[in-house]
Amino acid sequence: MTEKIDRAVIQKVIKSVPMLSASANQLLQTTTDPDHDLREIVHIVKTDATLTARVLKVVNSAAFGLINEITSLDRAISYLGERLIVGIAIGDCASQLFDKELKGYEGEHGDLWRHDLRTAIASREVVAQSDLDISPDLAFTAGLLHDIGKALISDYLQGTAGEVLEKIENDEISDYLSAEEELIGFDHPRAGYELALTWKLPEAIAEVIRFHHTPAEAREEFQELVYAVHLGDNIAMMGGCGTGADSMRYKLDADYSRYITLQPNALASIMLTVNEEFVKLERSFAEAGDSNR
Amino acid sequence: MGQIILGVGDYGASNRPGEEVKTFALGSCVSVVLLDPKTRTVGMVHVALPESAINKAKSVEKPGYFADTGIPALLAAMAKFGCNPKGKGMVVKLCGGANVMDTNDTFQIGKRNALSIKKVLWKYGMGAVAEDLGGNFSRTVSVSVDTGEIILNSPGRPNWKL
Ligand SMILES: [Fe+2]
Ligand SMILES: [Fe+2]
Repeated sequence: MTEKIDRAVIQKVIKSVPMLSASANQLLQTTTDPDHDLREIVHIVKTDATLTARVLKVVNSAAFGLINEITSLDRAISYLGERLIVGIAIGDCASQLFDKELKGYEGEHGDLWRHDLRTAIASREVVAQSDLDISPDLAFTAGLLHDIGKALISDYLQGTAGEVLEKIENDEISDYLSAEEELIGFDHPRAGYELALTWKLPEAIAEVIRFHHTPAEAREEFQELVYAVHLGDNIAMMGGCGTGADSMRYKLDADYSRYITLQPNALASIMLTVNEEFVKLERSFAEAGDSNR
Repeated sequence: MGQIILGVGDYGASNRPGEEVKTFALGSCVSVVLLDPKTRTVGMVHVALPESAINKAKSVEKPGYFADTGIPALLAAMAKFGCNPKGKGMVVKLCGGANVMDTNDTFQIGKRNALSIKKVLWKYGMGAVAEDLGGNFSRTVSVSVDTGEIILNSPGRPNWKL
């Protein structure tokens, strides 16, 4: 029998992980503002020596195949694009969460990071290839953080996967989201949302974290973005990149069509691009990092 | 024991005793396994998408990505092991092709992959003797050169055979 958890328990878990660094926080705030420019990003990164070093390491990793080494931060940032800068910053300071082995989902070490990275790429691609009036970079960042709540509740779900799958197959539970709620009284979007509040993440990102499986419930002004990440998440899982036993066990909300027009061929091209991008980015992050992602 | 690991859009074959051909985490992708009893060769292609028409350049660079170019590429690779280039006498098994829950038509890539693969096989006069397709879960698939048996696994479930 698993025990139920509540907000207080989640808060305690959140307190046990390091806060976002000041620079990561500033990057998130700045890039969410539609009127920012690249100079502000450069300025923030410059104030953080560790981040600067990491950015240069990533851009010069073999995965990008640059012939001449990039030594200037300005050039590195404009080459990588702001979404990767944000990705590097968040990936580094939340590595304790991203690198967590999701035992409760019978996931393997690195699965959460890979799933989040793939969702980020796919969410961005969905926005870039449709005529949504939102920033593709914001979709990337939101995608990167969408499942962060799994790292918070995974331990409480240990030993439940087999039973959950059986219940889903027998139609006793409708999907993995309901299973989390039924088993421990808290699902991963809500847990992630608690973290978003504590970390003071931008509202748009908090909304994505909270409603990425139930986009119709998101506030109207954020719905396009939430639906884009909803699709990005599904595309990542279809690409074989999930976080364990829960992969593909969530419902697609076909009402995305209210905002996003997607023909089967367009989806196929998106999946192709996502796979290529993912292979490259995963490699560049791995080469530049010391974690075993 | 030797292993040949295939990524998305890769194909490969082996006739070395003790070896296995394996691919990780098929979501909507489908793994086509071909077994040639005559030469004791096993081959596999990890197909991601139904039609190469969406990106011809990619299908030249990585034919295994698509159903319509992946199967001919695998047959050509197996012909180097002395197998019949048209697949005559081969046994076919299919795994993967999962879909997300409550999927709509557009997102049924898994189903369309499987259909497209069957159409291509049919042109060669081939059909699957065993399949483990569909559902809402991802599969890791490995096939043994010695027995031609496929072992499947998916997180949270006991392994199963095909
Ligand atoms: Fe999720
Ligand atoms: Fe997800």
